[in-house]
Amino acid sequence: MKRVNLSLVLFCLPALLLYSTFVLFPAVDGFRLSLTNWNGLNPTSEYVGFSNYRELLEDKMFLQSLLFTTRYVVYMVVLQNGIALFLAIIIESLRKGKRVLRTIFFFPNMISMIIGGFIWMFIFTRVFPQIAEFTGIMLFNESWIGNPEYSFYSILILSLWGSVGYLMIIYIAALQSIPQSLVEAAEIDGANRFQVIWHVVRPLIMNSITIGIFIALSSSFKVFDQVFALTGGGPGTATQVVSINIFMEAFHMRSRYGYASAKAVVLFVLILTITGIQLIVMKQKEVEY
Amino acid sequence: MKRILMVLLLPLLAISLAACNGGDDTDVVELDVFMSFPRFQEQFEDYFELFEAKMLEEENITVRINLEMPSSDTAQQLLEARLSSDDAPDVFTLHAISNIPEYYEAGYLEDLSDAAFVDVVYDSVLDSVTFDDKIVALPLESLAWGYLYNKDIFEAYDLTPPATLSEMETVVATLNANDETPFLLAFQESWIPQLMMALSLGGMINSEETDFIANMNAGTGSYADIDEVFGIIDLIMANGTDRPFETGSAAGSADFANGNAAMWVQGPWMSGSILEVNPDMNIGLAPLPVTNNPDTTMINLSTSTSLAVSPTSEHKDIAIKLLNFILDEEHSSDLFSDLKFNPLATVHTYESFPWVDEAMSYVADGKAYLEQALPDGVTDVTALMLQEYYAGTKTQAEVIEAIDAAWASALTD
Repeated sequence: MKRVNLSLVLFCLPALLLYSTFVLFPAVDGFRLSLTNWNGLNPTSEYVGFSNYRELLEDKMFLQSLLFTTRYVVYMVVLQNGIALFLAIIIESLRKGKRVLRTIFFFPNMISMIIGGFIWMFIFTRVFPQIAEFTGIMLFNESWIGNPEYSFYSILILSLWGSVGYLMIIYIAALQSIPQSLVEAAEIDGANRFQVIWHVVRPLIMNSITIGIFIALSSSFKVFDQVFALTGGGPGTATQVVSINIFMEAFHMRSRYGYASAKAVVLFVLILTITGIQLIVMKQKEVEY
Repeated sequence: MKRILMVLLLPLLAISLAACNGGDDTDVVELDVFMSFPRFQEQFEDYFELFEAKMLEEENITVRINLEMPSSDTAQQLLEARLSSDDAPDVFTLHAISNIPEYYEAGYLEDLSDAAFVDVVYDSVLDSVTFDDKIVALPLESLAWGYLYNKDIFEAYDLTPPATLSEMETVVATLNANDETPFLLAFQESWIPQLMMALSLGGMINSEETDFIANMNAGTGSYADIDEVFGIIDLIMANGTDRPFETGSAAGSADFANGNAAMWVQGPWMSGSILEVNPDMNIGLAPLPVTNNPDTTMINLSTSTSLAVSPTSEHKDIAIKLLNFILDEEHSSDLFSDLKFNPLATVHTYESFPWVDEAMSYVADGKAYLEQALPDGVTDVTALMLQEYYAGTKTQAEVIEAIDAAWASALTD
């Protein structure tokens, strides 16, 4: 038994070694950095206790970015899951073309969001004005990148385009795992389509909904690529999300690595708490059959 | 088990044996050079080959230069990571005004006061790379900077560069009346709108508000003291091209080269990309008026990219020789004119560009000032705030408040 364990550990060792060097150690060291005033340049730095964290509470730009991120997360969790589930149900109910549609909707997920950002940048800045010219619909003539009210929706569109396919696959798998007998039984009892979806399908795919919301929550709180590629957080700081704010603090502005690390730790704790609560609450609603 | 370990260890052994074989050539001097000029890679590679040949011929030393050219977006990050992890390149580029103080304090700059190049560089340029009474870098890019204008458009309507704000308003009105867009706005990259503040602030604090920086550093000043700068900023923003947030510096150069606007608050560093689009473009350069006092209308003189030597370099003497060779009497003129840099030393005998001559005519009249460093981070915040000022998400008062706060926070540590 012991020999087996040892060889198992040895097999994991290369991966574990890489993981600790490039993920675990930097993460722990990031917390240590957050207690210093290191500026990314000086060979030495001083420990400043929790003053970085106290400063955060009065940092207008950080709080503004937190508010913007929260708004983004709310929209994303609802829309990403809603659209993914909707697509999954539609595709599952089709007789033909399931595979083709599944591939089409999943496709954007395989593209890097930076590339996706450039694709949509082109659509928003070059294609939309053309559409406006041909159709006369003035909505397309707005500055979808430059006007902060619209650029929020541009970021949302890009993010949804890139991420809905992934959740859709999860929901399709969940739908396929539902025993057909239960659905048929409900139909025989006279339930209509919506009643079947609400009273039979919904409880049975609850564990997938938990996963879907978990993925949407954790990935949208740390959103970076989409915003970076499309607006860079601009104009100014109008569409700045927390991770862009951290990036700017560390690599632009005054290169305050210590302070930026403190922000990163706060973001980590925030995601941990919120997803933790979400998992506990939603686990209670899942049913077994 | 043992067999598995042997299989795992064999490649390691092979690698370490191979490593032992190399490194026997003690005569070769390897020099790591780090530059943020990917667009000039070819020119510098060729120039460094000349240096290697010269060293071999004159001193019988084989020099091998490892040139590293990351993109200018990430260059500073990479360089700072290497400096702070004790892996400094022997020679590296930095920004004279904004980097020298910080790098010097951290001990990353070698004192070059005794190097030979000091004797040939013009004194006015030397000032900008002098810190703590020591010369710590070799200047590469020296700038005489104002806004750019399209000479053909100006001539078509019989206009001359205005000397005051109200004259500028007249110019703008004339251009508008003739269906010409007065200003090109390219605000996608935040450093471009920031240039409006840099020029107008420079004009103010070197004429009417000379105590501004001292007051700010003492904690008694505020950008509200120089809020006249918003006069010209508002004028530019109200009379510019559409959709500025969708236009970056490259698209802006193309638009300006194609005559889409008469003026662009940018700098001579864009001349290369403008002329690439339209080689016949007549680029003019003039100082930006700030108020109705013509004294505030001045050219900004500054030094940006410079070359420094690391004190931890193993081959400091060769590194300094390389710096001296950059201003070599025989070859330097070709290099600098090829790079479209301004002449900055007595060895530079090439003909300068018309916009440089135009800027220099203002300098000769005393309408110029040396750029001063602002505290770290202030420029970045100004850049972001001006974008928001245009977008309408921040008012003038909020912009002033945010920049004041950035300045105050930079003073705290």
